[in-house]
Amino acid sequence: MEDKQVDRIIFGDNQFFGINHMSEERAQARAERFKDIGAIIDVIDNAYACGIHAFMFNTHDRVGELCDHFRAHPGRYRDLRLYPSMPYAHKYANAVNEKGMVGALNEFVLSGCSTGQVVSTLIRGGRTVIHRDMLEVMKLLVDLEMRMFRGLKVRAVFLQNIVTDLLLGFNAKEVFLEFCKHIKTSYHVEPAFITTNMPRLVSFLLENGIENPIVSAGINKTGFAMCPNQEQCERTLAEKSFRPRAMSVFYSGTIPPREAIEYVCGLPNIQSIVFGASSRQHIEHTREMIRSRWDLGAFLARPAAVS
Amino acid sequence: MLTGAVIGLGRMGLTHFSILNTHPQVNFVAVCDSSSFMLKKVAKHLNVRAYKNMGKMLEDVRPDFVIVATPTAMHAEAVKCAVACGAHVFVEKPFSLNPEQGRELCRVVQGKNLVHQVGYVNRFGDVFMEVKKLLDSEAIGNVVTFKVEMNGPTVLHGARGSWRSKTTEGGGCLYDFASHGVDLINYLIGPPARVLGAVLGRIYSEGVEDTVSATFVYEDGTRGNLLANWSDASYRKPTCHFEVLGRQGKIMANPYSYKVFFRKDPELEGFSQGWNERYFASIARPVRFFVRGFEFTRQLDYFIDRILEGRPSEVCSFEDGLEADLVIDRIRRNGENGGQAGG
Repeated sequence: MEDKQVDRIIFGDNQFFGINHMSEERAQARAERFKDIGAIIDVIDNAYACGIHAFMFNTHDRVGELCDHFRAHPGRYRDLRLYPSMPYAHKYANAVNEKGMVGALNEFVLSGCSTGQVVSTLIRGGRTVIHRDMLEVMKLLVDLEMRMFRGLKVRAVFLQNIVTDLLLGFNAKEVFLEFCKHIKTSYHVEPAFITTNMPRLVSFLLENGIENPIVSAGINKTGFAMCPNQEQCERTLAEKSFRPRAMSVFYSGTIPPREAIEYVCGLPNIQSIVFGASSRQHIEHTREMIRSRWDLGAFLARPAAVS
Repeated sequence: MLTGAVIGLGRMGLTHFSILNTHPQVNFVAVCDSSSFMLKKVAKHLNVRAYKNMGKMLEDVRPDFVIVATPTAMHAEAVKCAVACGAHVFVEKPFSLNPEQGRELCRVVQGKNLVHQVGYVNRFGDVFMEVKKLLDSEAIGNVVTFKVEMNGPTVLHGARGSWRSKTTEGGGCLYDFASHGVDLINYLIGPPARVLGAVLGRIYSEGVEDTVSATFVYEDGTRGNLLANWSDASYRKPTCHFEVLGRQGKIMANPYSYKVFFRKDPELEGFSQGWNERYFASIARPVRFFVRGFEFTRQLDYFIDRILEGRPSEVCSFEDGLEADLVIDRIRRNGENGGQAGG
């Protein structure tokens, strides 16, 4: 029963890793503030205490450290629900710069094998990435990225927009279908997608038999990064059968909070809002603004596990 | 409907394919790459014909336009082949390996009714486009000094094996990274009369430079600096800062925002004396399909529009690509000469 419950508020992680779409200075300040994992944990604990138990984490190396912390304190994070998003693209981009496309893929695939697998790979005459099917490589990379979440409760696995949108442009139907199948059969959770091209992606997924997909996209009052335009995104929300999750609702602080929440909560069918914040006050304030517009039901009635 | 082909399926080739594959007026028919892996394992998901030999591909499919996204050393051959087939050409930056090659490519397209464009994508970035308008309006008065600073974590190990680690193939911080800064200077300020004080330094790379610094000097006394370092692990991703001081004001810009300072009220709507700050979110307009950045779609859609309209590219033509190559060549020669005046 509990697993069917929709997480209406999901706490995002951009702020922890020096990501800010408005200002490089602000991103830098955040990177400095969250240098220690303890500072990140403090904010997560604040969100958790505010009744927000769902978190979206990109597969940044530091999230691995956070997951170690969650595993080390199972009682404290009993009700933790995670939404991994993958890949952390800069890791791959830098490797491709240094080693080329095939060299980088090879390195990641080999790093995902155990020592025994590497030895047998070499014995079999270098069954490196070159000899593998691309779909097989994709699954290996997903497994590699998922390792850091082992033993934790994962609700859905998101494909990051840089990959989703690239594949969408390719019309790579088999890759989407295989990703969905792999996430469902290997992890028994729902596949999900982040995109900057929501109307096009939703149509594409529905046409290809991926029913009622979970799609996360920037949805904000100013229409920023709502491609191809705000009107088509709003129409898709109203007319298509999917589970939209709104991100970038404040757009890195460029939209006044109340207006931002009023806009998003006033749209039809939005299932969840993903937002990030760095202080308890901001987290509570945002939660209250959402609560005043949405019936959050039992969601916030849970006793706070961290005081 | 235009038919297109992509030569080179690296990161940029795939990005360009994805963006234009969604264009209502474009139908990709073929791709070409030297890697069997890319052809057999990746290209099959693109639903187009895949070739190892670009001559054969062009002969077979006769596309209306070609996107050249190979390593720089192969640009010249690919562009010449495409033009010989009568195709419009978009080529990735930097344009060519040296000015002789670049001049030859400019000659090849001369007199032909073909659209040609080079992928200096900053020219299509929302912030830099606004900065260009501000500079053209002369609101900050005559330019006195400027600087472009680029940093990133692109190379953090002694890389070998990729073409990026060989100068002869167009690798190195100057060609591959700082060329964006060089072009931004050409676009916003203009090509310099002289380059001096150039230093090409190494940090991790063995065959190429990781840092570039140079001073640009203009006939009218304007001077500026280019500083680039692609081996700085403190950056999450590559950044580019541009700062220009004029007699009536100053502009500080990066791809996300800019600030402009006016000594007195400018005759520009929405701006006033003192500091004025503008953020990307309030400037950027959505694009029809987004992959990696608004500017990537904007530059390709501009290229396609120009083909459909039968007009030449005015934002970043082969001649603009050659201008950047000429400055890059001066920086390299001046650096080899110990940064002496007269470069």
